[in-house]
Amino acid sequence: MEMRKIKFTLNGKPCEIEVKPWRTLLEMIREDLHLTGTKEGCGEGECGSCTVILGGKTVNSCLVPAVEADNQELITIEGLPEGDKLHPIQEAFVNKAGMQCGFCTPGVIMSAKALLDKTPAPSEEEIREGIAGNFCRCTGYTKIIESIQAAAEMMKGDK
Amino acid sequence: MEEYSVIGKRIPRVDGRVKATGEAKYAADYEMPGMLWCKILRSPYAHARILNIDTSRAERLPGVKAVCTGKDFQGWRWGWMPQTRDEPPLAVDKVRYLAEAVAAVAAVDEDTAEEATELIKVDYEELPGVFEAEEAMQEGAPQVHDYVKNNLSVDFHMDFGDVEKAFRESYLVHEDRFETGRCITGYLEPPAAVALWDSTGITIWAAKQSPYFVYRHLADCFKLPLNKVRVVQPFIGGGFGGTKNDSLAGDFCSVLFSKWTGKPVKFVYSMKEVLMTCRRRHNMIIYNKMGMQKDGTITAMQSRVIADGGAYTAIGPLSMYLTGAISTLPYKLPNFKHDAYRIFTNNPISAAMRGHGVTHTRFAAELQMEMMAEQLGLDPLEIRLKNAVTAPHETVNRVKVHSAGLVEGLKTLGETPQWKDKDQGKGGEEQWLQGVGLSGTCYLGGARQRGHQSCGAVVRLCEDGTVDYLTGATDCGQGSDTVLVQIVAEELGLAVEDIDIKRVDTAVTPCDAGSYGSRVTVLAGEAAKRAAQDVKEQLAKVAAAGWQVAPEEIVFKDRKVFVKGTPGKAMSFDKLAKTACYSGSGAVIIGKGYSDYGIEVLDFERGAGMPGTSFSFTSQLTALDVDRETGFVKCKEMIIAHDCGRPLNPINVEAQNQGAAIQGMGQALYEQFVMKQGQTMNPNLAGYKMPLSLDIPRIEVIDIITDDTTGPYGAKEASEGAHVSAPPSVASAIHDATGIWFKEQPITPEKIVMALRKKKEKGC
Amino acid sequence: MVTFNRRLPRFAYVKPASLGEALDLLQDKEKGRVQVYAGGTDVIPRLKARLIPPPEFLLDLKGIPELDYIAYDKDKGLRIGALATIAAVMNHAAVQGSFGILAQGAHSIASTQIQNRGTIAGNICNAIPSADSVPALFCLGAKLICVSSRGERSIGIEDFFTGLRQTVLGPGELLKEIQIPDMPAGGRGVYIKLGTRSRMDLAVVGVGVVVAVSDGLFRDVRIGLGSAAPKPIRAPRAEAALRGQKVGEQAIAEAGRIAAEESSPRSSHRASAEYRRLMVEVLVKRALGQALKAEE
Repeated sequence: MEMRKIKFTLNGKPCEIEVKPWRTLLEMIREDLHLTGTKEGCGEGECGSCTVILGGKTVNSCLVPAVEADNQELITIEGLPEGDKLHPIQEAFVNKAGMQCGFCTPGVIMSAKALLDKTPAPSEEEIREGIAGNFCRCTGYTKIIESIQAAAEMMKGDK
Repeated sequence: MEEYSVIGKRIPRVDGRVKATGEAKYAADYEMPGMLWCKILRSPYAHARILNIDTSRAERLPGVKAVCTGKDFQGWRWGWMPQTRDEPPLAVDKVRYLAEAVAAVAAVDEDTAEEATELIKVDYEELPGVFEAEEAMQEGAPQVHDYVKNNLSVDFHMDFGDVEKAFRESYLVHEDRFETGRCITGYLEPPAAVALWDSTGITIWAAKQSPYFVYRHLADCFKLPLNKVRVVQPFIGGGFGGTKNDSLAGDFCSVLFSKWTGKPVKFVYSMKEVLMTCRRRHNMIIYNKMGMQKDGTITAMQSRVIADGGAYTAIGPLSMYLTGAISTLPYKLPNFKHDAYRIFTNNPISAAMRGHGVTHTRFAAELQMEMMAEQLGLDPLEIRLKNAVTAPHETVNRVKVHSAGLVEGLKTLGETPQWKDKDQGKGGEEQWLQGVGLSGTCYLGGARQRGHQSCGAVVRLCEDGTVDYLTGATDCGQGSDTVLVQIVAEELGLAVEDIDIKRVDTAVTPCDAGSYGSRVTVLAGEAAKRAAQDVKEQLAKVAAAGWQVAPEEIVFKDRKVFVKGTPGKAMSFDKLAKTACYSGSGAVIIGKGYSDYGIEVLDFERGAGMPGTSFSFTSQLTALDVDRETGFVKCKEMIIAHDCGRPLNPINVEAQNQGAAIQGMGQALYEQFVMKQGQTMNPNLAGYKMPLSLDIPRIEVIDIITDDTTGPYGAKEASEGAHVSAPPSVASAIHDATGIWFKEQPITPEKIVMALRKKKEKGC
Repeated sequence: MVTFNRRLPRFAYVKPASLGEALDLLQDKEKGRVQVYAGGTDVIPRLKARLIPPPEFLLDLKGIPELDYIAYDKDKGLRIGALATIAAVMNHAAVQGSFGILAQGAHSIASTQIQNRGTIAGNICNAIPSADSVPALFCLGAKLICVSSRGERSIGIEDFFTGLRQTVLGPGELLKEIQIPDMPAGGRGVYIKLGTRSRMDLAVVGVGVVVAVSDGLFRDVRIGLGSAAPKPIRAPRAEAALRGQKVGEQAIAEAGRIAAEESSPRSSHRASAEYRRLMVEVLVKRALGQALKAEE
C-alpha cells in the first residue's frame, strides 16, 4: 500500500501532504488537515454537507478521491473569511438567521458562493436551483434563500 | 405593555458566527491523540436467536485493540420507565430488529475497525418475525419480548364524560380509519461521540439533546456515581427528538472500549445506519369516532390508536400518553374516550419525534372534523371557529389553558385573499387542480411528565463585570442558547454580547432534562431568569447601600444601574460589578435558579392534568396545486398564524415555524420508509425523501400575541405546533383540490392518481 | 453480517496518461481487479457500500486528455468524450442550441455538485433504467464508440444495455465517445422527468421525445422511455402510429396509449408498475405536446 504525495493550493496557500489512495477528499480535509468545518452527512453525495470548491467547481468531497486534489485549487469554508472579516455570505447568514443547527451551513455557503460567483444577481428560482443539492432539515430553506439574497445585495454594493 | 431592551428583538443567534465559519465543533469533529475508532456489527435478521459469537479472527487482526459483545454489559438494560427496561446496549439472547447492534470493535483507525467487524462470526437461528402492529396483537403471533403478552408494549386508557350517551344524542356520527406514515427525524448529523475513561470517570463528547438523560444511563450501566460521569455537549447537528434524546449502542461500546484500553474511543454512525437503525416516529393506525350536532358542535370523540412500537419500548409510554393527553384541545370536547396500544414488532424502534404522539391523533381528528363539517354544509373555517377553545379553558381531563390564540389565528387566515378567493379560477380543465386547506392545532410546551424535569441555571458575575451563564439546556439548533442569553441580558440590563453562555458539561453545569417537549424557552428560560434575578438582587443590595435607598428602587438597563426617578444616582454595570466583587477581601457573586415545577400532580396513567405548563395554538393555511394527471403536488403557500404567547426572538421563532412546517409537509407528501419483512428498502436520502429547496412553498409566519402569564415574558412553545399543523392543512388542501379525503400519510402522487381515477370511474 | 461502511475499501490508485496505457492496464488485470471511474458519483458510493467487490486498483480516467472534449461539426455531429461532465455537456452552446433534449436530460440529474463531477458516459455505463441522459440519447440515435486493447467498435445506444447494470461492454472495454448525429430537420426534443420531489429523485418515469413535422403531419417521431422497463427503451409502435399522421390531440393521445402498452415497468419502493405505466401514457402525451410547441 503506497501513500500518494500530493501538492495543491488550500484556501489560497500551498499545501503538501501524503494520503492513502482510498482516502476521500472529505476525509483528508477533516482528518489529515484537521479542518472540520466541512461535514460528513450522508457520505454518498445526496446531502451536500461536504460541498467544497475544487478546481473552481462545487463538488461533494465525500465522493472525490483525495489524490485528485493534486495540482488543484481547493477552497473550504475556512477559506472564506479574510482574517477576522467574514465573507459577505457568512455575514448574511448570521444576520438573516440562515442557519439553525448549522450542520448544513458550510456546504450551503460553498454552494451559495459558487452560485454568486457565477450569477451575481440570481433570481429566487436560480437560488433554489443553486442549493438544490444541499439538504437542510431545520430551516425549511426560506431563510437560507433570504440570506443568499441579502448576500447578493451586499456583494453588489462591494463592487 | 412593557418595553423590553433585548426580549422581542430580532437578535442574530449567538452561535451564528461559529456556525457560518465552520468553527463550531460537532461530536464527529473531535479527535484526540491515541484515539481509537469503534465500529458496530449488526444483525442481518429481523428476528433471530443468537447462538454463538466468535470474535477470535477479529481480535487477531492487526490494529484491533478490543472487541465486545452483548455479554460484556452483564445483562444491563435501560428504558424510560422502571418496568420498561428492555433494551440492551448490544443484543444478548436474540435480535429483535434488522441491523440491531450485536458486537463492536475498537481499532486504531476506522478502516481497520470496519474490516474487523466483517471477521466476527455470529451464528443465528432465524425466527419468524412480525411486522404489522395489528398482526402482532393477535394470538399466536411471534413474540418479540417474553415479558409482555401478545406483544403489548404499553397501553393507555382515558375516559372522560360519557361518549356513548353523547354519540346517541348526536346528529351526526362518523367512524373512520386513519394511518400515519413511517417517518424519521431526519437530522443531518449522524450520531457520534468520543468517549474517554480515566481516573476521573467517564467523559464523553456526544451529540445529545438531553445530555443529562445520557449521563444517568451511563452511570447506571457502568455503576458509577453521577459526579463521575461527564457528558460534554458539542454543537448538535439537529435533533427533533427520538435518537438524540437517548443513548445508543455506539455510546455504550465506546465507553466500554475506553475503559478497557485507556484510550479515547470515537464512533460515528453512517446515514444509512441512521435511516435503518435509529429511532423513528411511531407509525399509528387511528380509529376515530366523532359526534357532532347539526350546527357543527363537537359532542364527543373516541379514539382507538394502534401504534407500531418496533422492537423495544424506548420512550413509547410517553408517546402513547401524548396521543390522548391533549386530544381535548384545541376544540371544546365534553366527552372523550381514548384507548391506545403500543405494539412490539420486529421493525426498527419507534420513539419520539417533534410533535410526538399529538401529531398522529391531531391529524385524524382534524380531517374527520372537516369531513363531517362538509356533510353538514360547514366549511373548514366555520367548523373550527365553532368549536375552538378560548381562554381561560379547562378540558374534561383537567388541562388548563390560560391563553389561546386559536380563534384569532383562524380569523386572520380567514381574512387572507388566499382563503377568501380560493374558489376563484377553479373548475377548469387545466393541468393543475388548486386547493386551499386549513388546520387548527395545539401543542404543549414546558413538558414535564415524569422523572426529573426541572431546569437549572447559574449566572456567574466575573470581577470585570462580564457575565457567564451556565446552562443545563441544550440548543440542538432551535436557537435556545440565544433566547436564554437574551433573558439573562434583559434581567441584568445588559446586551447579549455581554453574556457568555457556557454550554452543557454535566461536570459543571446544572441539571436539565434537555431539549424536547418544547420546554427550553419556557422552563430553562424561567431558570435563567431567576438566576439572573439572583445576581441582580445581590448587586442591587450593594448599589442600594451605596446610594442609601431601598434595593427595589434600583433599575438595571442599558448597561447602567440607577435609582428609579433619580438620574443623578447612576453608574455603569461594570463599575457596580467591580465595586461589588472587590468589596472586602473579594465577593463571589453567583446567581442560581431553577424552573418552578409546581406541585400539581399529573395523573399520567389516566391522562389527566397538565402535561406541560402552557399550550401553543397554531392555525395553518396551505395552498397547493395538484397535477391532475400525475398527482404531483406543488405546495405554493403556507400561512402560519401561531400563538406562542410572545416570541422572545421573533426571527428565530419565524425560522423555527418555517422549518417545522416544511418538516410536516415532508411527512404529509413524501416521507415513507418502505418496509419488507422488517427490512427498510429505501435507507438513503434519495429514497427517503425529505423536502429540498425546490419543493418549498412561500411561507408567511404571523405572530398572534397572547402574553401567557405562565411563561417568561409571556412566552409559550413555538414551532412544534407548526409541525403538527402542517400535515392536516396539506391534507385539507388536497381535499379541496381533488374532492378526495386522503386518510393515510404520505399522500403520494401515486395515491392521488389512483384515487382520482377511481373517483372518475364511479362517476362522482 | 451487516456493517455500515463509511470508508472506502483499500485499493491502489492509478491514473494512466493515455488511452493506450489505460487499455493495457485493463487488459492486463483479471476481471474485477481494476475498477474504472471518471466522476465517481456512482462508483464511489457503490464501493463504499461494498456493492462493487473491492478492486485492487482504482483507475482514474481523468489523466487522459484525449477523452475530454465536446465537439460539434456538421459532418460528424456532436461528439462527447468519455470525460465530458454532465455540467459541461448541458452548458455547451451546441448542446443547448441544437440538442436541447440532451441538455434537459442532463440538467435533471441530481444536483450541481454531482453534475460537476459525473460524466454522461458514466450515466450511460451505470446502466440503470432511470438514467436521465439516456432517453434523450435514444431519441437522438446516439452511437457509442467503445474501445479495448482488442480494437474499437460502434454500438447503437439501443443495443448497449442488456439488463439492470448490464451492458455489452466486454472485459477491459471502455466507452470512449458518444456520437450524436444532427436532429432531423425541423426536429424538436423534450425530456420530462417525473419524480415525487422537484430534485434529487431517481426518475419514477423519464420520457424523451423528438418530433419533426412537415405539412401538418408527423414526419419523424422518436420516443425514449426511462424507468419503464428493465432497461431504457424506445417505443417503436407508438412512433410508427404517429408517423404520417396528422398532428393533433387524437394522434398524440393514441401514441401515449400505445407507448404505455409497450412499457413493462416494475414495481419498486418508488412506485408501482401500474402507476408507471399510466405515467408513461401521460408523459408521452405531454412531451409530444411540449415538443410541438417548442421553438425550432
